[in-house]
Amino acid sequence: MRYNRTELSGNIGFSSIIDEKFKTAGLVVRFITELSGEKAAANALGIGVLSSSSAEYRTLAELNEKLSSLYGASLTTFTRKRGDVQVLGLSASWIDKRYAFDGEDLDKEMLGIIRGCIFEPNAENSEFDADSYMITKNDLLDRIDAELNNKRGYALSRAAEIAFRGEPAEFSCYGTKESASKVTSAEAYAAYRKLLETAQVEICYIAPEEDPAVLEMFRESFGAVSRNSGKVTFRSVSPAKPETITESDEFDVLQCKMVMSFKTDSDDMFATKLLSTVFGETPVSKLFMNVREKLSLCYYCACRYTYSKGSIMVDIGVERENIEKAKAEILRQLDEIKQGNITDADIESALLSLDNALTQIGDTPSSYSAWYFERFCDGEIVTPEEQYENYKKVTKERIIKAANSLSLDSVYLMLDKEEQA
Amino acid sequence: MEKELIRSERTGDSCVHVKHRSGLDIYICEMPGFSSVEALFGTKYGSVNTMFRQKGDADFTTVPEGIAHFLEHKLFENEDCDVFELYAKTGASGNAFTSFDKTAYLFSCSKNYQESLRILLDFVQKPYFTKETVDKEQGIIGQEIKMTNDNPEWRVFFNMLRCMYHEHPVKIDIAGTVESIAKIDADLLYKCYYTFYNLNNMVLSIAGNISADEVLAICDECLKDCDDKGLETVFPDESDTIVKSEIREKQPVGAPIFNLGYKCGACTGEERLRKTMVASIVSSLLSDASSDMYQRLLKAGIINSSFGTEVFTGDGYFTVIFSGESGSPEKVRDAVTDEVDRMLSEGICEKDFQRIKKSTYGMFVRELNNVEAVANLMMNSHMDGVGPYDAINVISGITSEDALAFMKNELRRDRLVMSVIEGEG
Repeated sequence: MRYNRTELSGNIGFSSIIDEKFKTAGLVVRFITELSGEKAAANALGIGVLSSSSAEYRTLAELNEKLSSLYGASLTTFTRKRGDVQVLGLSASWIDKRYAFDGEDLDKEMLGIIRGCIFEPNAENSEFDADSYMITKNDLLDRIDAELNNKRGYALSRAAEIAFRGEPAEFSCYGTKESASKVTSAEAYAAYRKLLETAQVEICYIAPEEDPAVLEMFRESFGAVSRNSGKVTFRSVSPAKPETITESDEFDVLQCKMVMSFKTDSDDMFATKLLSTVFGETPVSKLFMNVREKLSLCYYCACRYTYSKGSIMVDIGVERENIEKAKAEILRQLDEIKQGNITDADIESALLSLDNALTQIGDTPSSYSAWYFERFCDGEIVTPEEQYENYKKVTKERIIKAANSLSLDSVYLMLDKEEQA
Repeated sequence: MEKELIRSERTGDSCVHVKHRSGLDIYICEMPGFSSVEALFGTKYGSVNTMFRQKGDADFTTVPEGIAHFLEHKLFENEDCDVFELYAKTGASGNAFTSFDKTAYLFSCSKNYQESLRILLDFVQKPYFTKETVDKEQGIIGQEIKMTNDNPEWRVFFNMLRCMYHEHPVKIDIAGTVESIAKIDADLLYKCYYTFYNLNNMVLSIAGNISADEVLAICDECLKDCDDKGLETVFPDESDTIVKSEIREKQPVGAPIFNLGYKCGACTGEERLRKTMVASIVSSLLSDASSDMYQRLLKAGIINSSFGTEVFTGDGYFTVIFSGESGSPEKVRDAVTDEVDRMLSEGICEKDFQRIKKSTYGMFVRELNNVEAVANLMMNSHMDGVGPYDAINVISGITSEDALAFMKNELRRDRLVMSVIEGEG
C-alpha cells in the first residue's frame, strides 16, 4: 500500500491510497464546515442534489442508466455529524478496468461523471434543476421523519441533543423538518456554492494503481473556483452539566431504551479509548459480562467514545422495571474501574481487540478512507500500526485517571407507554 | 482427503474445497495482500427446521419456535468459561448468527488466526447446557425479541411472510416468541444439537490471510470423526396461494414503510441459483433507479431513495420483494403490477437487459474484493448446493426470454402481498 497526501491551494487535501489487491477504485470528496442549526438543512440539500443529475446527465434516470452501464458503479452523497462539524460529500466506487468485458476505460468515464456532478451541477440562474431539487428535498424530509423508525439510533440522537445542548453538536446534520421544508432551490444552490468556495475539502482516492489524472482534475477544477476557506475546529470538548439531568419520551414500544451520557475533560485520547473498550466495547467488557451476562437485563449494553466532544455514551435496551437496576449496575461497573479494579488481562484483551481492528483497516477501501480522514481530523496522520503503538504505551494508572475524569452529564429514556389501570 | 481447486475463469479468483474425513466440507480462499481472516463454521440448521428425524427414528420430532437461535446463544458458553473470554486472549472478534436456514459461528482477526480457529472448531463441537444456563438466557433473548419487534423493518417483513405462507415455518420469527422459548430446556437443546451439528451437515469456510495447508492441519487436529446419521428435515405442504393480500399495522414510525412480495415457486440447487439471478435482473428491469416506473413514482413523491428490491429464497420459499417508505403503498403496488403487465405486452428493451446484466456482474466482482464477503459466499453457495463462482457463469447465460417467462409465470397479481407499517397519528 502506498499512501500519499498532497495539499492543493485553497485548504484542500488530496490523499491517494494505492493498493494492488483491490478490484475496485473509488473516490470520496468531503466538504467540512461548522455544524449550524440554521444552515444544516440547506447544506444537506445542496450536496444531496449532486447525485441526482448533472449538466451532462440531466435527470436521475440518465445518470443512473450511465452508472448501471459502467458495471453498476455507485455514486452517492452523504451528510454526517462529527462533533461540532458537518461533513458532507460525494462518494463513488467502480470496478477496476481489468474486469470490464470490452476494455472500457471506467476510470476516465467515472472521473468525468464525478467532475460533472461537483463542478457542473444541473443548475441554471443560480437554482438547481426543479425536478432534481424536488426529489432531493422530498428525500431529506422523509429521512428526517424516518429517524424514529430506528429506535436505538433515535435514542442516541435524542441523548446527543440533551448532552450537547447549547453547542453545535446538539443539532442533527440534516437540520429539522421545519428548517428543511423552508429551503428553496436557490438557497440550497447558494449553500452549495458557499461549501465549494469556503468549506475545508478533503479528497481521498483509493485504487489498485496510480492515476495522475485524478489529482489533475481536482487541481484544475478547484483552480477555477474562487476559494476562501478557513480551518475548521474539529475538537470542542463539551462541559459537563453541574447536575445530571434526565429527560424522557413515551412511545408505544415494547422495549425501553436508556442512554447515559458521560463527559470527560481529559485530553488523553488513548487512555480514554482503552477505558471505553474495557468498560463496554467488547463481548468481554464490564458492561457485557455483568449487565447482560450476569444479570440478564438486556440484549445489548455498550458504550462509544467521541474524542471530539469528550464524551462516552452508554446505551441499553431494557424493561421499564429494570431501568434503575441497570443504571445502578452501569455506574457500579464504572466505579470499579475508577477504584482500580481492572486486571492486566482486561487491558491486554482490550489492546488485542484494538490491534485486531486496526490491522484490518487496510482490507476495505472504505475503512482506509475513514481511517485517514479521522486521523486528519484528530490532527496527526498516523498509520494504524503507529496508532497501536500509542495504545500500547497506556498504563493502568492512565486508564484509572481517565475513568475518574468521567461524570454523568445526562440520561435519556425512551419509555414504553404504561398501561392504564 | 483430496483438494479440489475451484476457479473463476472470468475474474481469476480461486479457492480450495476439501471433503474432510470427519465428514465436514471445508472451503479455503487464500487472499494475498489482505491482512484479515474471516472464518465461518456453519450448520444447515435455521429457524425453518422445526420438524426432523434421523435414520432409525420412526417419527418426526417437532421443536419449539426459536430453538435454533437459542442453541446458537447457548453454544457460546462451555463448561469452564464463556467463549468470548477465549477469543479475548487471541484478539479475534467472535460472533454468530442464526437465519432461516443456517446457523454460523464466526470470527474475524488479523493475527494468530490458528489459535482462533482452534477455539472455533473446539467450542462448536462441545455443547454444554444446564438448567441454570438455559434459564439465564431466557431474559437476554426475551429482550432481543422485544427489540426486534420494535423494529418496523422486521415487523413489516414478517407480517408479509405471514400473509404469504400458510404453513411453511419461514413465517415464524427466527428468535421465536417469549412464550415459545419458555418451552426450551437443556434436553431439547441437546437433541437439536446432536441432530444438526453433525459434521456431515456442516461447512467450514475461511478466507483471507491464511495458508490452506495450515488450516487443514488444524482441522485434522481438532475435528472429531462423525457418522452421517441420515438427517431428514421436512416442511408442511404449502399451497401456491397466499393467505391474504394485505396487512397493515400501526407502530411509532416517522415514515410509513411497506413490503410488496410476490410468492413464487420454490426450488433448489442450480435451479434456485438461476431463478434467483433471473428474479434479480427482472426486479431491476422493473424498478431500478433508471427505470420509468421508479422515475414516475419518485417525481410524484410516492417513493424515495429508500425504495429497493430483494430476492428472498431458501428451502421451500421464494419471493421477490419491493420495499421502501411511502405514504401511498397501494399506488406503488398498482405501479408494479401495471409495469409487469406493460413489459409482458411490449417486451423487454434488449439494451436495458444487457446493461442490467453488466451491473449484476459488477456486483459480484465487488463481493470478491472483501474477505468477509468471500467467506460468506463460499459457505452460502455450499449450503445452496452450488459452487462459489457459479453465479458469474449463470448470469452470462440468462436471456431476455428467461426474464419474460419469469414475469409471466411468477409475478402474478393473485400471489402478491402488501404489508404496511404506518404511524399511530
